[in-house]
Amino acid sequence: MDKKIVLLKDTSIGAADKTKEYYSLILNLLRDQNLQDSVQVVRVADIGFYDQGLVLKILPGQVTYGRVQESDLLPVITETIQGNKVLDRLALEPNEKQLRIVLRNCGQIDPENFDDYIAADGYAALKKVITEYKPEQVIEQLKASGLRGRGGAGYPTWMKWNFARQVKAEQKYIVCNGDEGDPGAYMDRSVLEGDPHSVIEGMMIGAYAIGASQGYFYIRAEYPLAVERIQKAIAQAYEYGLLGKNILGTDFSFDVEIRLGAGAFVCGEETALLASIEGKRGTPQPRPPYPSIKGLWGKPTVINNVETLANIPVILLKGGAWFGKIGTEKSKGTKVFALTGKIKNSGLIEVPMGTTIRDIVYHIGGGMLASKGIKAVQTGGPSGGVIPKEFLDEPVDYENLQKLGSIMGSGGMIVMDEDDCLVDIAKFYLKFCVEESCGKCAPCRIGGFQMLSLLENITSGKGTASDLAKMRRIALAMQKASLCGLGQTASNPVLSTLKYFAAEYKSHIEDKKCVAGKCRYLLNYQIIPEKCKKCGLCLTNCVFGAITGNREQGYILDPAKCTKCGRCYEVCKFKAINKG
Amino acid sequence: MIKLTKENFDQHKTGIPAVGKNWIKVGMSTCGIAAGADEVYKTFVEEAKKKNLTVDIKKCGCLGMCYAEPLVEVHVEGVPQVIYGKVNKDIAIKILEKHVGTKMLVNDYIFDLSLTMKKVGK
Amino acid sequence: MKKIVKAKINGILIRAEEGTTILEAAKKVQVKIPTLCKHPDLKPSASCGLCIVRIKGSNKMLRACCTPLDEGMDIITHDPEIVDIRRTVLELILSNHPNDCLKCDRNNDCELQKLVADFGIRQSPFTQVLRDLPIDNSTKAVELEPQKCILCGRCVDVCQNGQDVWALSFLERGMQTRISPAGDILLADSPCVRCGQCSAHCPTGAIVEQDDIGKVWEALLDPEKYCVVQIAPAVRASIGEAFGLTGKNMTKQLYALLRRLGFKAVFDTNFAADVTIMEEASEFEERLIKGTKPLPLITSCCPAWVDFMEKFHSDMIEHFSSCKSPHEILGVLSKTYYAQKNSIDPAKITMVSIMPCTAKKYEITRSNEMSASGFQDIDIVLSTRELARMIKQAGIDFLSLPDEEADSMLGEYAGAGVIFGATGGVMEAALRTAYYFVTGTELGKVEFESVRGLKGVKETEIEVAGKKIRIAIAHGLENVEQVLTKVREAKNNNQELPYHFIEVMACPGGCVGGGGQPYMVTDELRLKRAKVLYQDDTNKQIRCSHQNPYVKRLYTEFLEKPLGPKSEKLLHTKYNSRPIYKR
Repeated sequence: MDKKIVLLKDTSIGAADKTKEYYSLILNLLRDQNLQDSVQVVRVADIGFYDQGLVLKILPGQVTYGRVQESDLLPVITETIQGNKVLDRLALEPNEKQLRIVLRNCGQIDPENFDDYIAADGYAALKKVITEYKPEQVIEQLKASGLRGRGGAGYPTWMKWNFARQVKAEQKYIVCNGDEGDPGAYMDRSVLEGDPHSVIEGMMIGAYAIGASQGYFYIRAEYPLAVERIQKAIAQAYEYGLLGKNILGTDFSFDVEIRLGAGAFVCGEETALLASIEGKRGTPQPRPPYPSIKGLWGKPTVINNVETLANIPVILLKGGAWFGKIGTEKSKGTKVFALTGKIKNSGLIEVPMGTTIRDIVYHIGGGMLASKGIKAVQTGGPSGGVIPKEFLDEPVDYENLQKLGSIMGSGGMIVMDEDDCLVDIAKFYLKFCVEESCGKCAPCRIGGFQMLSLLENITSGKGTASDLAKMRRIALAMQKASLCGLGQTASNPVLSTLKYFAAEYKSHIEDKKCVAGKCRYLLNYQIIPEKCKKCGLCLTNCVFGAITGNREQGYILDPAKCTKCGRCYEVCKFKAINKG
Repeated sequence: MIKLTKENFDQHKTGIPAVGKNWIKVGMSTCGIAAGADEVYKTFVEEAKKKNLTVDIKKCGCLGMCYAEPLVEVHVEGVPQVIYGKVNKDIAIKILEKHVGTKMLVNDYIFDLSLTMKKVGK
Repeated sequence: MKKIVKAKINGILIRAEEGTTILEAAKKVQVKIPTLCKHPDLKPSASCGLCIVRIKGSNKMLRACCTPLDEGMDIITHDPEIVDIRRTVLELILSNHPNDCLKCDRNNDCELQKLVADFGIRQSPFTQVLRDLPIDNSTKAVELEPQKCILCGRCVDVCQNGQDVWALSFLERGMQTRISPAGDILLADSPCVRCGQCSAHCPTGAIVEQDDIGKVWEALLDPEKYCVVQIAPAVRASIGEAFGLTGKNMTKQLYALLRRLGFKAVFDTNFAADVTIMEEASEFEERLIKGTKPLPLITSCCPAWVDFMEKFHSDMIEHFSSCKSPHEILGVLSKTYYAQKNSIDPAKITMVSIMPCTAKKYEITRSNEMSASGFQDIDIVLSTRELARMIKQAGIDFLSLPDEEADSMLGEYAGAGVIFGATGGVMEAALRTAYYFVTGTELGKVEFESVRGLKGVKETEIEVAGKKIRIAIAHGLENVEQVLTKVREAKNNNQELPYHFIEVMACPGGCVGGGGQPYMVTDELRLKRAKVLYQDDTNKQIRCSHQNPYVKRLYTEFLEKPLGPKSEKLLHTKYNSRPIYKR
């Protein structure tokens, strides 16, 4: 018998982790069977299944058992480990929720090693395209794939390319938008850092399709490693003749340069990005003309997001039809999300379009971080909205997220629990947009600011019923009259929280209460005499003189003097201070 | 440096030497580096040399499991390929000693997500 | 020919050339879509958000200012939701604008104020938030009050793209966004050439001409002062607009008005323009015949252009006519020639220039040569807009005033003098006299149609004494570069000069489109104003400066001859390279 390995992990939620106990149990059982030398038992940190009780995985062979009870351990040893028989009643189906297309090479290859990429089929799609395909055929493949822009708006990539291809111009450009800026989102950074050549290859295929001879990487300067890796990759591509004149000995020539973004969020917007590349102030311009017709220096320009471009080589290699089978009817392929918030496994995930929020949260994310229940999921960053837990079983795709009042966005996904105040969340995102507004158009510049002051009123207990009406009014003006996407969507987090969590707004305004306990100025602290041990720690820690009293008579907190700093609450060892 | 052409491209590809039998990949993207991957990488290189172990230490991008950074993937002949997470200097040494040296998996640091992710095949 | 597209606006069928914006098209069917940032003279900046319209049945709204009319579009410009959103946007803009209307320069002449009145806004639902930003009046020409700025971007557009000066730009972002010279320095330390186009395009009171009306009233009421005044050519063609009258020559009413205001003598800058021509045509003759200095000769009567040249093109100084601008010439002559002839103590003379210009306010102290009379030759400069306000302050029914004549010696002008106010006019006037100076014979036909009109750079060739004279005329500073580049290239490669004579005016259209002229100028209006000047020229018996008997008398009795020692001392100046940014 080959040496076997048993991986184990107690995946129960809401109970103490008993991995170590089971570990000892199995070891003992193995010893009893005299198998201790031919089987290694290994405690693992994560076994890829969640809320499945004790999970065992037997290697080689990948047999995985879930909800294993103590009484099952012996049969597992005798029948599966020794007898190679699978116990169907315990077997778990593979939890293959993720599909890695964009991230196919991330973490697999050395991003600074050219041959690593070549060995992983790198530039094979480019070779195929420029030696076998006409530009129209490339676009046909993309059309068949159904790929839509991953920057947020979801515009069909083939249409963008086709517009630019059809314009007659001596010079055309292709630009990679790497100005990722949603709070908490870093999908593009990861791809640029982990697989830079695939983005370059995607860009080159696009260039070939539209007839561009010059490309630009627009990457935010806060991504120094991404810039460095792209720089190295470009240099390697030039060395090997994959960039420059007559690529692979064909008539196709293409050059690439890098431009650094100075950190303005709005420069992720196409026209502002182009202005920034041209060396101008990065503010959006009216459209039409669209960049595909008149873009960089007045020439047809296609702007694609990093993730979009990383999809391209695979699509061309495996065929548009193959890609078109993945995902939902109108949203094809996969989407990379930066999963963060109150979730166990925060990180980058890539799932086929149509995966449910529940699968993402519970089967990939490993469930909630603390024992608090899930309240909502936020997608789409500052342009998106919140999706309450009632919709956990909704599939994630462009149309459906929009239907729910949010958007796909670039891929931020933040999980929130009962400790999160949705009014506060809305305020956070709106504040982000207000700070990042370029200041060009009045609805966004002033509207955002005014709406934020109203939200600040509400979260500090000064809100009135008419504030909500005012906010809706501003939101409408911002949606309809802002020049670019930033302003048009800045009110989304507010509108979606108003839609699903109106009661929270109401309690902030009418009861002056923040149920989640987030909004500092709405909190009231009180000393509970029954629990107070008269230690005086609160008194010594209150620097505002709001607590008075002595060790004999106990202590009193004066709400009028209290600044709601929460210090007394934190230091009280007897939970004698009530917050609420 | 040879320039690749449509004629010699495939030849170049097949000529790329295969990866060594034993290797350790360290996730060296911003998330990994922020969590201490630099030190982990250095430890692997130095300690492998000190211990005279035949193992290639490689860098790679982000695997996605950012909560468990620094991540390293270890492949040693005869042992299942696994990913270790939350690796620090001490665990790196342990991995070298136990996993590479004695072909035994190290307890408590494996993040086995092999059944949760499909990769696009070739 | 352009394609014609058919569409509907509020149900009304419209056919318009492809590329026509919804805003322009709506105007053709008598629909006015409100806007604050779009100036008919400028490209749309699409910043205010007021001009939103919708396609029937669609939820999305488009900006009328920058969306071209498309075949089959069915556009709604006004419905309850659109109007309500416009009102919200307007209220938002108001929440960020001081309620200083009563004390504002633009009171009753403000685009924002007018819209607010049109919308009948009676209360402000939003908290007023104002920025505490300092007023910049460092230039002596324009005053920048960022608090009143609504960030429409017109001034930045004219300054950067129209004038190629790049003095104004947007700084910071979000609610901190403001207009200012880059690096937050004062305008006077920036590349600003004081052309005032920013102020002429500003919809509110954020950039206005520096107001010198008070100084004029003070001088007029001072019994010790002997106040004299001159009006520039372009003022007569535009002042009527401030009283609702377009395209009307107001010369004679202006003379009457200025006397009523209390000026002891009323002169006309046109006279000095004739003198300028005597000097400049002589310079041209000298360079052409004797080769004393290199060709091309470049005109210098526009102070903003002079400032621009000194900052950006100082390698061209040797090509510059050393002749002062007409109003400076009139200033020095009033305090020398006129004072002597009429036994007036020049120290008591206060000379006021009514100019279509803001740069002239700066010009009067730009160098020592501007005090050639021994006193500051011009004491105060008022723009056309200020004069209009002064007329209203004085309570004079301007339009009904009787005709009067200018005061003699410095008042009569030839047709050549009045066309100075339009682009190409200085060139045309100079050619009429230069032709005579070079050939000794008078021109048969004095009109040079090819130098007229609004083309950015006008090039033409005329024959003088068997010699082909190539000329170029540029107006709007953005058009200067291409002309000078040709000259530089030829000089560097020792090629034949592309031009012999170049006229430059900083403002588009020349002085008729000056930075101190009434608001809302468009090319249509520039042409209308120019037409007034050309008509005045046509109506004159004497068309050429050298034929003006008062000019002849000036030279015989006082100056002796063009470019003579006295002329050189009083009528000419020097130029220096100036840093673009002062530290």
